[in-house]
Amino acid sequence: MAPRGGRAAASSGSEDEEEEAGFSRSYFLAKEKEPLSGKKRARAAAGKLSDLNLVDEQVLRASLAEIPPKHKEEVEALTRSYKDQYRNWLFELRCGFGLLMYGFGSKKQLLEDFASTTLTDFTVVVINGYLPSVNLKQVIATIAEMFWDQTKAKRKRQPGTRSQLSQQFPSQSTEDIISFLMRQTSDDVDDRVCLLIHSVDGPALRDAESQQCLAQISCCPQVRVVASIDHVNAPLLWDKKMVHKQFKWSWYHVPTFAPYKVEGVFYPLILASGGHAQTTKTALVVLQSLTPNAQSVFRVLAEYQLANEKEEGMPVSSLYTKCRERFLVSSQVTLNSHLTEFKDHDLVKIRKHSDGQDCLRIPLVCDALEKLLQELA
Amino acid sequence: MSAAPCDTLPTAANNIQPFLVLHKAAASSVPSSRAKRRIQTSQPSSPNPKSANRCRQPAGEECEDEGDLELYEQLRVEAFHRTWSKIQSTIDEVLRAINLKLFDQVLQWAKESFASVRAITKPHQTEVQQPYPLLTDVICRRIPTAFVLTKNAEFVDDITTFHDLAEHMKSNGCHVVKLSAAELSAKHGVGGCFRSLLRQLLSDVSDVADVSALASWYCEAENFDQPIIVIIDDLEQCSGDVLGELVMMLSEWVFKIPVFFVMGIATTLDAPKKLLSSEALQRLEPCKLTLGSPSDRLNALVEAILVKPCAGFCISHEVALFLKNYFFRHDGTITSFITALRLACSKHFSMEPLSFLCIGMLEEDSEEFWHDKFESLPQAIRKYAFDLPSSKNANNSNNSCNMLEGLSRLLKLQKDWSSVLLCLYEAGIHDKVQLLDIFCEAVNPDLQTENAPDSYLFASKVTCENLLGVKSGSAKGFIAQVMNTIRYLPMEVLLHVLEVWSIHLKGMSEINDRVKELQSTTIGADSVRVKRRSTASTGNGTVVLNEKVAVLLQDVIRKYLVPVESLPFHEIICFKNVDILQSALIGNPRRMIQLDLLKSQSHLKCSCCRSGAAVSGSLHDTSIMCNLAQEYGDVINLHDWYTAFEGIIKSSNSKAKRKSYSSPSKKKSKATPPEGEGMIQARFCRAVTEMQITGLVRMPSKRRPDLVQRITFGP
Repeated sequence: MAPRGGRAAASSGSEDEEEEAGFSRSYFLAKEKEPLSGKKRARAAAGKLSDLNLVDEQVLRASLAEIPPKHKEEVEALTRSYKDQYRNWLFELRCGFGLLMYGFGSKKQLLEDFASTTLTDFTVVVINGYLPSVNLKQVIATIAEMFWDQTKAKRKRQPGTRSQLSQQFPSQSTEDIISFLMRQTSDDVDDRVCLLIHSVDGPALRDAESQQCLAQISCCPQVRVVASIDHVNAPLLWDKKMVHKQFKWSWYHVPTFAPYKVEGVFYPLILASGGHAQTTKTALVVLQSLTPNAQSVFRVLAEYQLANEKEEGMPVSSLYTKCRERFLVSSQVTLNSHLTEFKDHDLVKIRKHSDGQDCLRIPLVCDALEKLLQELA
Repeated sequence: MSAAPCDTLPTAANNIQPFLVLHKAAASSVPSSRAKRRIQTSQPSSPNPKSANRCRQPAGEECEDEGDLELYEQLRVEAFHRTWSKIQSTIDEVLRAINLKLFDQVLQWAKESFASVRAITKPHQTEVQQPYPLLTDVICRRIPTAFVLTKNAEFVDDITTFHDLAEHMKSNGCHVVKLSAAELSAKHGVGGCFRSLLRQLLSDVSDVADVSALASWYCEAENFDQPIIVIIDDLEQCSGDVLGELVMMLSEWVFKIPVFFVMGIATTLDAPKKLLSSEALQRLEPCKLTLGSPSDRLNALVEAILVKPCAGFCISHEVALFLKNYFFRHDGTITSFITALRLACSKHFSMEPLSFLCIGMLEEDSEEFWHDKFESLPQAIRKYAFDLPSSKNANNSNNSCNMLEGLSRLLKLQKDWSSVLLCLYEAGIHDKVQLLDIFCEAVNPDLQTENAPDSYLFASKVTCENLLGVKSGSAKGFIAQVMNTIRYLPMEVLLHVLEVWSIHLKGMSEINDRVKELQSTTIGADSVRVKRRSTASTGNGTVVLNEKVAVLLQDVIRKYLVPVESLPFHEIICFKNVDILQSALIGNPRRMIQLDLLKSQSHLKCSCCRSGAAVSGSLHDTSIMCNLAQEYGDVINLHDWYTAFEGIIKSSNSKAKRKSYSSPSKKKSKATPPEGEGMIQARFCRAVTEMQITGLVRMPSKRRPDLVQRITFGP
């Protein structure tokens, strides 16, 4: 090996190892800090959240909106400093790469500024991936419709070619729409679309199917992708094929230190009513999606639990009897199907009663449960 | 549709819509045609009203510059596309050529299997469509199946291989269907999988997919006399049940509709046994084929793309080393190697203003191409060209003639370099030297200074400096190894090597003559050796000849193996910036996000936070929290965390207050309003949420509401 190469390789190797060692060292140091034997004692000795003088959730939310920005000028200057790179970013987009922005801070404003100042030749479609639900099919149908309109307009200009029947994209399957998009080349449509995805690792897009779908769109000839990630483990979302053949990411480290304002809206506040808000909320969402009968079964269980707080839970047999009395279920099978649904969504837990029979318990404290029942009504 | 066209800047509504159209493309601007026109005018920096019109700022000269900027940027984009498509097509060719042997084997196998199936029975077309199977004997219901061992742990390289295989089979008349692991999943079931099979063969598929549709399609005259090859590229990823069902179903029909399988296996031949039920396995008639290894492919690629100047784009020594390490340490896939190269290429064209001249290397008359381009170069870019470090070293007279000469010489020397390198490799093969290794050594700019530079070569100052540090360990290079190999090569091999050399060195007549001369003496020596064999003195002549060849090679290396980095104007074609490549190729959010937070001052460059000292309250809130979190184990007690956070905020507030009495600056007064508990708690909440979004901590579980879990340890 060339002398210099050898040295470079060796030095980078030792760096890697050092890094690795550093990583494991800090992990074990962290583990050490919590002595295993005295774990329980340590925790008991440590303070509890309830010891703090927590303000009311409403006050908390009101203050949240009024947090004075720190380093406002510096953050703005930092964001401005990326403006110089816009042209390079555009260049790489034109070369067929996807841009992936990462680093601490909300990149929403940065990317939208980039899009509106530099990507003027593109039609820019924004996906807010930080929202809890995004319908990707709608997105691709919109893009497909745009392309379709252009193709039609083009065909009209060229006499002799008959325009095909209009396409109903929203009613087609995702695969069909994607294969339509794949067929569109610069001959068919003039405009290129840039898909601007905020938090491509966001909660709505974190599943494999969404990522597959995005990966497929990103390799359509007339589509380019600019995306941001926030989570440290985001790269785990993609396999080799997606990274190298579809997304073709070019990474950029662009910390902005801008507050995650919109991105954080859907996260529960850690100091708000000890996290109950979240569970009540999620439980409510699940319950509302169930049939009225199932809701009533849940209500029976909840009322029993509120009335008999000290007990370990409600025996399945007594729940069945109660529900039959109220004509909520006709057989054990129907009840079981409801219970399975509850269990799948963590609405109830099954425990063995001390006398041996299964009993059901809703894993919520009384206050939360009461609140849930009120809201369900 | 929820998306509404919206031209204004992001508003609150934009934040909560799942998606929206931010803006439509501006009325189609096609700068490429303008750019060409502009370049063709070939008047140096003539005021062009068209280019000026496009500028946003109507400020005379600046405007002109920006117009030029855009034009040349467009040129570079085009140059990138041309260069890369050339490289890509070279890659495709090379890979196809390497795989061709396997492809032919598969084709042969398909033909033989088809013949043997037809030998047992040849159903009439009408028979095929009958619903009942022709034969019920188990032995006769076996589907010929080729298992292709890919020898790749990573599947991604094989995607192209199997794609090419499909093309190859298609072009040889077979009907080809490709089923992916996604289609052979439990989710789609055998129905979905069969439908996708039909969809690839039939023009329109009804909703009810059954074999009779396939049978009637197969009976059409133009489809009848060919087998149907089903290629499953990634067997291990398929659902065994679905595949088993498909096998069972198709095996019933194999004599009427000859469907054969080609299955790619990444692990070992055990894979199908593990995956399929014994019943399904029985219905397969296996045949084993093997693909070439990734390192063979890499060698071939390096030769075609990096050594032979196929596209006028090349990489520096550092980049070459990086790519090599990236290949061997990252995942060993050709795909990631190509991705890295592609990124390097785009970075080069993006950053190097003169890079559009690269494509001149591809032109038939490079000089004329460059000449035309130079004439129209604006003054600023011209100046830039003569300010390139490499050209400064070489010459000081600024004229295009000079630059033309420089580029032409660059082209010529590059060609020589690659010929010599190939000669080296040819000899090195016999000692199992990898081309990538020799390549990395041959692009090393230190090499040239080592080899006692001839007067006409331009050793740059930089390389001389580099040399001082590294020369000591240079003895054990790959090139030295090759030299050594040559000294001990047996005569027959040496002859062969010389023969190949004379092919490689065709363009260099002077050297080629010397090779020819050696060849002729070799033949002489050979006969001498044969005569002497009886006397058992093992060819004294051979040793002399080996030595002669070695001397020749040494000589050639010294003269012609000039690394591109020591040539003037090499910046135009050579990509050097390894750091930029690395950061764009390998993002490391886990490390970088933590570093962002722990060293926020270095990004924000504020005056208020001092680095190194204890956590100061003026830091970014999340940064404070992240710093505090370092004190904890794998779980963080929320109460303690909050108390610590509160302490820091309060202490800094009181400090600020004290200061604000003496110097009531505007900034401080902003931070001073008495912060109630509520505000601090809100700030705490937001910081935790931000850490949660970035994945640094996990929320408390219901069982342990007072503890959050730390996920990342040490940047």
